[in-house]
Amino acid sequence: MFCENSNILYCFTLLLGVNVKKNVIVTISSDKGLCGGINSTSVKISRALHRINAGPDTECKYVILGEKGKAQLIRDSKKDIELIMTELQKNFLNYTQASWRTVGSSRAKVKFEDLLASSKEVSRVSVLADDILKNVEFDALRIVFNKFQSVVSFLPTTATVLSPEIVERESEAGGKIGSLDSYEIEGGETKSEVLQNLAEFQFSCVMFNAVLENACSEQGARMSAMDSSSRNAGDMLDRLTLTYNRTRQASITTELIEIISGASALEG
Amino acid sequence: MVIVPATTGQMGILPGHVPTIAELKPGLLSVHEGNDVKKYFISSGFAFVHSNSYADILAVEAVPLDRIDPAQVQKGLSEFTQKLNSASSDLDKAEAQIGVDVHSALNSALTG
Repeated sequence: MFCENSNILYCFTLLLGVNVKKNVIVTISSDKGLCGGINSTSVKISRALHRINAGPDTECKYVILGEKGKAQLIRDSKKDIELIMTELQKNFLNYTQASWRTVGSSRAKVKFEDLLASSKEVSRVSVLADDILKNVEFDALRIVFNKFQSVVSFLPTTATVLSPEIVERESEAGGKIGSLDSYEIEGGETKSEVLQNLAEFQFSCVMFNAVLENACSEQGARMSAMDSSSRNAGDMLDRLTLTYNRTRQASITTELIEIISGASALEG
Repeated sequence: MVIVPATTGQMGILPGHVPTIAELKPGLLSVHEGNDVKKYFISSGFAFVHSNSYADILAVEAVPLDRIDPAQVQKGLSEFTQKLNSASSDLDKAEAQIGVDVHSALNSALTG
């Protein structure tokens, strides 16, 4: 997205139409609520992608990151969920590797805990990417997240990552990533080995980007949601205060009138 | 010119280089601008050379050489060599081997 100078090998949105058998939709959502509509938009897009991609000979599964997405998707798509991960943002998001522990496999709730001796509290995104690669079979991964544009605006985005075999197939067939074939591959024994490493590296980088952007959007959305609800609450408070005062004054006036009319009835 | 530590050895990239994707191993990256040389230690990644003479270097971590502490490097090297010798399973051996590789690359980057 920032490398306008170099030939971007493949722009993510171009790959939306690529034809693959196994699609996996990675929905990135937040754990905490009160953040406006970003989780609903992510889930809406994931569902739409699922409907587009599910067909007679293709299959489509979900990997869910975050409590809010899980709560919404588990209601109607329970059988399509492959993996759920929550509590990512308990610690700071970080890229680098660490050893960690997984609890069960598909449909299991996986918590991220840091086992390094230095006990620095970070969430290792590369570990997360590694886990998805190991446990989920995919031809194409669609990562659905909210891209941060400004504090009040977020763009729901889908980033597509292809598995190494599909990258090879598509690059040899020409088409959208045909230019990949024009690059000489250095290192490794075979071209597919390097491409596989490259695909995995790309996946973890894209995941890192997506998770960070979503976290940013979540903070921004929460800020604007809380700001507007504070303002609404303030307005309501003002209106109710006016009504209260009016009612109070009216009842005092009524009492006075009763007393005065009673007194004047006694006199006259 | 840029010299990157590819898995097949040190690779120099000058303008007009053929488009390449190179896998990198932990080692020294040096950027030569005229007579000015900047050295970094990268922990591995990929280097892309595009046809318009732009090169992208994607590294997981890149540290300027003057920020690395040689004493720590030596300590890490001896620690991982010891782990490699006492490693039992394949996974442990692989992890210890990676540690040894990175630390010896750090060592040679600092001294070389």
